[in-house]
Amino acid sequence: MLDENPAQKPGGVWRMILTDVHFWVPAIILLAGLAVLHWIR
Amino acid sequence: MESSSTKHIPQSIESLRLRKLQLVGILCGFSAGAWLGAAEAPTKLVKLGVSPLVVSLLMVVGVFLARWSLPALIRGTGQMRADIRQAPHLIVWGILAGCLWAVANTLTIFAIRDIGLSIAFPLWNINSLLGIFWGYLLFNELRDAGKLRWLTVLGGALLMFLGATLLAVASSTQSPAEHPLRGILAALGAGCLWGTMYVPYRKAYLTGMNPLSFIAFFTIGELGMMLSLALLYGGGPAALSHQLDLARPVLFWLMLGGFVWVIGDLFQQYAAKYIGISRGIPLSNTNQLWGLLWGILVFGELRGLRTSLYAEVIGGSLLMAAGAGAIALSSITGKEHARWKQAADRESQRYRLDADYVQAALSGNEANDPSGLPAAKSRRTWLDYVLVIAVTTIFITLAVLARAPNMALDWPALAALAAAMLVFLLASGLALWKTTRFN
Repeated sequence: MLDENPAQKPGGVWRMILTDVHFWVPAIILLAGLAVLHWIR
Repeated sequence: MESSSTKHIPQSIESLRLRKLQLVGILCGFSAGAWLGAAEAPTKLVKLGVSPLVVSLLMVVGVFLARWSLPALIRGTGQMRADIRQAPHLIVWGILAGCLWAVANTLTIFAIRDIGLSIAFPLWNINSLLGIFWGYLLFNELRDAGKLRWLTVLGGALLMFLGATLLAVASSTQSPAEHPLRGILAALGAGCLWGTMYVPYRKAYLTGMNPLSFIAFFTIGELGMMLSLALLYGGGPAALSHQLDLARPVLFWLMLGGFVWVIGDLFQQYAAKYIGISRGIPLSNTNQLWGLLWGILVFGELRGLRTSLYAEVIGGSLLMAAGAGAIALSSITGKEHARWKQAADRESQRYRLDADYVQAALSGNEANDPSGLPAAKSRRTWLDYVLVIAVTTIFITLAVLARAPNMALDWPALAALAAAMLVFLLASGLALWKTTRFN
């Protein structure tokens, strides 16, 4: 079963992550945090 | 977020097991508070003119060392490889969480500089309210939990927020604020980043990763991001190297702070796993109470100040304790746990995970290997022993080189607090071992 799992292939992992809305919540917050840090430093 | 009906939700794990896991999670939440609060103590010994960014970077180096050696000691790195084989996508989530932590921590340095600790601390403590929000929205936490549990969790978090505000006001004697807007933005930003950092945590634990594996990847993002920020905002490699040279006599204390912090964070991870982020984060936030205890009892802070200040400290502490107590008493029902399982099923379908692996992780058991046989007992290899010996050698060397602090410390108070931390460590460690074998 594991051999057939697309999550085992690098491309498959990234496709699953990038199409997961849960990923974009922390990713966007991280980018916003970096922008705030750059502005206030 | 979850569309399926709740009418036919099966009981996910037996109620006795659920109750045991919940008690372990609560104990881990309180232990996290004690150890995270103590992590600041070694940094109070540092009185050199070292940049706060470098202080933060060196603590993270201590964190990095601890985060690779502790899992090797407890489970062996072979178990980590097994986790990666099952859920490789969680490496990315771990690194993302580490990056969030590093940026948040750096923002707090600027927030304290611009508006002072008294305003900054309560603002970034909104992380627990945000954690409750994300837990509900993304992971089905507190769904079907009933009004009473909602009331105790939300009410407890608000009580803790009020208590934290009082404590922060009392513990700060500095006057704010040259750049109030910048400082407020930095503190709110740190709260948002820390509150959102628990999304990857929860994601990892719903899909089965062991906290000991997750923190190893977390620290790669944490160290990478912290090093980039120190280089970018610290004046480049030459300036950073000069600052590191200045910090050489205090390396041990800073890295010790990082080591203590890792133990606290490890308990926080287990709390997030077994009671969810909506309950785990507020309990870990009792670290402020412990930090204050160290400051007042060991380092003699707030001594000789007005009586009303002591009233604020006692009032704030009682409010925080009441809030934490309310959250700890808000038990997770079978119905709510079944909603967690729905979220876990959604994750295992998305990432094509082995259902047995996810179910075993959710109930704190060892998963079978892909062939269906029971998983092998954790075996340490030569690599694990090399890691543990190398890290121990580094810490012993730094301790020998360290300069003893020229400060008046209350040694009996220090011994009492250290003993309390050890009691938490032993109680939580034994409970985790007996109930989950550190799964």
